[in-house]
Amino acid sequence: MKVMWYFTHKEILEAWRKHHLLIIGLIFMIFGIESPLIAKILPDILHSSFGSNLVINIPQPTSVDSWQQFYKNITQMGIYVLAIIFSGFMSQEVSQGTLVNLIAKGLPRFIVVLAKFLVAYLQWCGAILLAFVITWGYTAYYFPDNKSPQPLLGLVPLLIFGLFFTALLLLGSTLAVNNYFGFLFAAGSIIALTILNMWKSVQRWNPVALMTDNLRLVQGTEKLAHISPALMLTLGLTIVLVTLTIIIFNHKRL
Amino acid sequence: MTDANFFFDNLPFFIPLIIVELVLMITAIVHIFRHQHYQHGNRWLWLLAVMFIQPFGAIAYFVFGRELE
Amino acid sequence: MMALLELAHVQKSFGTKQVLTDLTFSVEAGSIFGFVGENGAGKTTTMKLILGLEKLDAGQITVAQQTVKYGQNKTNQNIGYLPDVPEYYGYLTATEYLMLCGHLTGMHKSELPTRIKEMLAAVDLPQNKQRIHGFSRGMKQRLGIAQALLNRPRLLICDEPTSALDPAGRREFLDLLASLRGETTIIFSTHILNDVERICDQVGILNRGRLAVNETLVNLRQQFARPQLQLTFADLTSAQQAAVTLQVTEKVVQPQFSLPYQGASQQFTGQVLRQLLAADIVPLAVNQQQTSLEDIFLEVVK
Repeated sequence: MKVMWYFTHKEILEAWRKHHLLIIGLIFMIFGIESPLIAKILPDILHSSFGSNLVINIPQPTSVDSWQQFYKNITQMGIYVLAIIFSGFMSQEVSQGTLVNLIAKGLPRFIVVLAKFLVAYLQWCGAILLAFVITWGYTAYYFPDNKSPQPLLGLVPLLIFGLFFTALLLLGSTLAVNNYFGFLFAAGSIIALTILNMWKSVQRWNPVALMTDNLRLVQGTEKLAHISPALMLTLGLTIVLVTLTIIIFNHKRL
Repeated sequence: MTDANFFFDNLPFFIPLIIVELVLMITAIVHIFRHQHYQHGNRWLWLLAVMFIQPFGAIAYFVFGRELE
Repeated sequence: MMALLELAHVQKSFGTKQVLTDLTFSVEAGSIFGFVGENGAGKTTTMKLILGLEKLDAGQITVAQQTVKYGQNKTNQNIGYLPDVPEYYGYLTATEYLMLCGHLTGMHKSELPTRIKEMLAAVDLPQNKQRIHGFSRGMKQRLGIAQALLNRPRLLICDEPTSALDPAGRREFLDLLASLRGETTIIFSTHILNDVERICDQVGILNRGRLAVNETLVNLRQQFARPQLQLTFADLTSAQQAAVTLQVTEKVVQPQFSLPYQGASQQFTGQVLRQLLAADIVPLAVNQQQTSLEDIFLEVVK
């Protein structure tokens, strides 16, 4: 287990010195600030673009709008920013040959896979939590209503979805022929799952539910139990994906 | 509502937002000037991208532009 | 003497290409083994097999009586490896990289800092915050030596270590290897035969997937001894005249050619000189040529 820590330490140092932590932190701070801001100014923007002559009742923004912007930003942009940053985390090491020496020294291959998975997932959680805390603060201050009683409940599935998404990236990056394949593989898988969601019967099982039902969970109109099949399946698929990655990586020529 | 009013009304949002974007931009610009070689593109392309496409120019630089070490 | 490394009937192929057909040899503890072969003969593959980085198709490899298994690393604790082009993490400093290596090989935490300082001093690298990213080719090679020797391995495997070094760096590196003689067993692959002649005790020549030769340098010289007399002339015309006189069948294109012979050298030299003088041709120089490793190598892989 000590070896796991040594390689994890190297991965963390890499994330810091390659500026990944800094970029991720700053970008997700922007998402955190922007979400309540857009919710707040959207009526004003609509007003000025349609003109005040047009009498439409634009309702006052509420905390729900703020959280809606948050989940939109994170699930439609944030996770792909992370995907791009993590995309080469395995393929780059393999193509540069930096692992050969360490593996020759006795670093077990599965440790490489697990450490990379762990550090990428910690960054995912850190990024989303950072944005969440910021949005939460602004939302509580600017929209002190009781329309979003369960802000944390919406976050749980997203954090679990991160396990699955990180595992997809890792498998893609391990299969990769270039540094962008990890990103394409993960993004492609999500698109495929989104298409699959058109069949109503699979919706409760689809991992994608973990990033589409968040707002309803926040509002309290849906219970976490409703998507528990998807939660279970997501966890199961994560284990399968990571195991598969370890097997493939064990056979990979370095 | 004037633009200035709009800006000052939302100052608690804009001040941190501007600071964050400035930090991101300056970090990227310093990095660009400290390196001679880039994975893709050249110095001027990245400087323009970082300064004018915020915040994605800086992300793009750190992912696709920065030299592999 | 005990064999530290043993390979028995090792086979390895990539796709349809059979790289190693039946490789068997052993290296004795404390010796410096020169591993010679043409490019693509399978030297790097053999080394990766010893390190457990590639899977064996058949056969067995043991290091210090322990069997090497792919993906397992028990045996690697005894081995130091210097890859042909060492690749590092550019964002780490030399000390940080060595720290990682030391931890991975299971070295004790308390001895690491002093050992790292010692190694950095030995290979003449600065102990500062400079990241590996800014290292020159030579510095990277020296860091490679430091990481390979860090945990005092019993066996050191070097894959073409001198091919990228300049003459001065090469000499320094070979001196360093020679200084390890006796305490560390070294396998050293190269196609620069001069390096092998300089420091190796034993030479293995890899050809067509087998070890065609595995001998001490001294024995090898005797076995393949093929003495030659080298004659040098003032110009091509006289060289060609001499060739006709001495009935040399090969075409002479330089004012210099060699004559292989058997028996005593004095007798042969006298005979040649008498023939030349009779034809009124005087050579500029007459030299005895020793059999070089290059001649032996070419003879073996023919």
